Amino acid sequence: MSHLFGHNGAPNTGYSQPNSIQTASKPTIPKGLVRKNAARWPRLSEPEMVRHYTWLSKRNFGIDTGFYPLGSCTMKHNPRVNEVIAQLPGIADIHPHQPEHHLQGFLSIYFEMQHMLEVCAGMDQVTLQPVAGAQGEFTAVRCIQEYFRLRGESQRNKVIVPDSAHGTNPASAAMAGFEIVEIPSREDGRIDLEALRAVADETTAAMMITNPNTLGLFEADISEASNIVHAAGGQMYYDGANFNAILGITSPGLMGFDAVHFNLHKTFSQPHGGGGPGSGPIGVKAHLAEFLPGPLAARRTPSPEETPLAVDKYWYHWTEPEHSIGKVQQWHGNAGAVIRCWAYYRRYGSGLKTMSEHAVLNANYLRHAIHKTAQEAGVSHLFNDGATTDVAKHEFTLSMLPAKEQLGISAMDVAKGLLDRGYMAPTVYFPLVVPECMMIEPTETESKDTLDTFAHHFAEVLKVDAETLHAAPVTTPVRRVDEVYAARNLCLRHPYDE
Amino acid sequence: MVDQLPNLGRETEMLNAMGLDSMEDLFSDIPEGVRFRGDLPLPPPQSEEEILSDARRLLGSNVAMGSRTSFLGAGLYRNYVPASVFQLVTRGEFLTAYTPYQPEVSQGMLQAMWEFQTLISELVGLPIANLSLYDGSTAAAEALTCAVRVHNRKASQPNTVYVSSLTPPDKMSVMQNYCQGAEIIIKTLEHNADGTLNLDSLKAAAGSCGVYLEQPNPIGVLDEGLVTTKELIGEHTALIVGVQPVSLGMVEAPGHYGADIVVGEGQPLGSPVTGGGPLYGIFACSKPYLRLMPGRIVGRSIDVDGKEAYCLTLSTREQHIRRHRATSNICTNETLIALMGAMHMALLGPDGLHDLAYRNAAACQKAKEVLGETSGVRIVHDTHHFNEFAIEVTGSAKDCLAYLDANGIIGGFDLAKWYPEVTNQILVTTTDQTTLGEIEALSAQLSMWSTHKEVNA
Repeated sequence: MSHLFGHNGAPNTGYSQPNSIQTASKPTIPKGLVRKNAARWPRLSEPEMVRHYTWLSKRNFGIDTGFYPLGSCTMKHNPRVNEVIAQLPGIADIHPHQPEHHLQGFLSIYFEMQHMLEVCAGMDQVTLQPVAGAQGEFTAVRCIQEYFRLRGESQRNKVIVPDSAHGTNPASAAMAGFEIVEIPSREDGRIDLEALRAVADETTAAMMITNPNTLGLFEADISEASNIVHAAGGQMYYDGANFNAILGITSPGLMGFDAVHFNLHKTFSQPHGGGGPGSGPIGVKAHLAEFLPGPLAARRTPSPEETPLAVDKYWYHWTEPEHSIGKVQQWHGNAGAVIRCWAYYRRYGSGLKTMSEHAVLNANYLRHAIHKTAQEAGVSHLFNDGATTDVAKHEFTLSMLPAKEQLGISAMDVAKGLLDRGYMAPTVYFPLVVPECMMIEPTETESKDTLDTFAHHFAEVLKVDAETLHAAPVTTPVRRVDEVYAARNLCLRHPYDE
Repeated sequence: MVDQLPNLGRETEMLNAMGLDSMEDLFSDIPEGVRFRGDLPLPPPQSEEEILSDARRLLGSNVAMGSRTSFLGAGLYRNYVPASVFQLVTRGEFLTAYTPYQPEVSQGMLQAMWEFQTLISELVGLPIANLSLYDGSTAAAEALTCAVRVHNRKASQPNTVYVSSLTPPDKMSVMQNYCQGAEIIIKTLEHNADGTLNLDSLKAAAGSCGVYLEQPNPIGVLDEGLVTTKELIGEHTALIVGVQPVSLGMVEAPGHYGADIVVGEGQPLGSPVTGGGPLYGIFACSKPYLRLMPGRIVGRSIDVDGKEAYCLTLSTREQHIRRHRATSNICTNETLIALMGAMHMALLGPDGLHDLAYRNAAACQKAKEVLGETSGVRIVHDTHHFNEFAIEVTGSAKDCLAYLDANGIIGGFDLAKWYPEVTNQILVTTTDQTTLGEIEALSAQLSMWSTHKEVNA
């Protein structure tokens, strides 16, 4: 083990600081505010620090390490030039309060990204301000709330979500002050139009839904669902978590949605960084545009004085929507993430459809390969499809219920067995509507060979006896972690007194 | 495009293996009525070299602060971030990982975040820290809703919080958005002419759920009065203090003078300004707030062999378990930027942090001395500052900043954008990057501006 707080030897610090200005003037802190005891931080030299974090990195699994079929998370390859671009001083060293004539290139990229997302989603106006998918959801339902307030329809205080929805949907709507109405999915995992009809009324503000849904199925009745909600006077909200499946194939606009959020860190490959940063822009139809958080990037013809500073034939500037809900982040959102995603989108441009086609091709191929390989290995009786369908979209679900009932092998056991074979485990126990669920999303950046080999290993895991699998993983830096112990013996920081 | 898709050219082989004929078959479940036909009206795909070239051209046209003399801060600060931080944080095992749902293969990030929690906890003087919120503004907003969850039952002013009237409107707007859903009323606290908090106005906050103040405050003032605020508001009102984390190398940790929650913009430790994001929001609190706090938190545990191991804990507060009853909707946070913060803090150590704070403050002190003697310039608050302070200039701040800009200096922040009634004040910020020469250049240009204004008056 390498412990950061085990280092207390280096007499100085990990980087030497110049002392030019220190000698020039002596700062004064009010007497009552002088810090008495310094933070008990470790003392490391640079070589010790570098070795510690390198050691930690080797105990972590990323896409670069291996196949990462984590359903709903779209763990695709992160092109490295995007990191190079994000560190250029023209993005890393700019301040959001700089005047527009300092930021023409930045504003032009913001404008281009707004436009690209509008085109792909069939929406009229995009804001890049929300910094994560959940914040995008919150922002959009706030816009819908203000829209109804201005129309004198404040009684619309309910948001409908299917029971298969991501947890952030109900959490975001509740945070904005809405009451949540959950409707059950049909037996086959799709939206139940009758259940929707039964709840959609004059108190409905919006329905939040993702399509393809969390089972990886396309909701063929989506237009009818939109009609039902609209007929009741409500708004349709598209959770863009699964947007990777449909670029250039269909769009939320065509399906009748009024608002949508994008997870740029999924669809457009902002590296997820072990939990963030993300970026969660939203797009809306024209009737909601005046409520968006500002400012938005806009463009016009430059004046003669502006022309020499322009990056193309336009002058880019900020505008404030008329009835803006205000801000959800203090600045312009996660600009660094937006720039990376701009670089990613530029790689595909008009060919973004090919990206989605390959995401769906890979998911269906893997689904097929898993079933076929399991059949050959004689283990196909140990799991079922999470939902019946001829074709899945970008992801699919399996239910390990038969393995659980027949052998006592749970979805979590299979997940841990896959860790031992060098894979990140699929998402387990989500969506809740599939018992012993494994949710698998390969993304478009995995080769056929990787998918074949994974299918082979999946069948291999199912051949392992229950006892061995309960003990998995054994090859990882630590074995099964006791989460109950962690919750009962809370240790949330280094205890110096130990 | 071609370099990102390993199965380009293998489509037929893969489709045939599934018994399908064409890509179109994969989309047979999508009704024709919602199909998009034709090509997306976007430019053609580019190669890596073309993208890089466009990025260099477009981003190169921006004015990077480092290419000028810059005194712009106002919430985001340019401190030097050591090279090793960038080298390590782009290691693929950190960069390309998801949230650590499988702890056995995520020990590196989990331990790093547990260490981050410890570093922040020590920095602010409170026992608990989460592993980051989005930024300083959302951390402040979530602190207010957290305070209401904790104190509402006993509050004589339920659903009410008090916030400093100096709080920048953009931050206030975030707070309002986060608070309105829970029907929380935000009232404001007034300040004295010298920029310090009016302690009489604070009395009104007793019995409310929480009070939000900043140290140093938004106009850079170090306010000694804050050490008495907890006493004035009482134990059933949360004292929430927003900090500039670098200042805590010299300035007392708010946890040591009664703060219940400390929040702040973590950026000055570990991250470049990056156009205002990604950043990381600091959130730390005392024990009574633990189970109602927002965000993810790592706990130290053991594995089945009894070996030290780390995992996410207290998830029952979170959206993926509690859904609409969660303490926050946050899922993705700012882990990687927090990791950069942890690396920077680890390199600094306690002495390095003090030195970094000292450099910021010494530059500020020097700037105050020099600008205090510059003709046509007045230091607005004759008190203690950490790394920024307001000056009054001749004419409007807007015109003055435009003049400085024309002369190659980003002179600071026009306070009229925060406080519309103040049209002639600039917030001047210094950091560890500020040199004596730059301060002198600012002084010389401000002096010329004053002369220019007087001549033209």
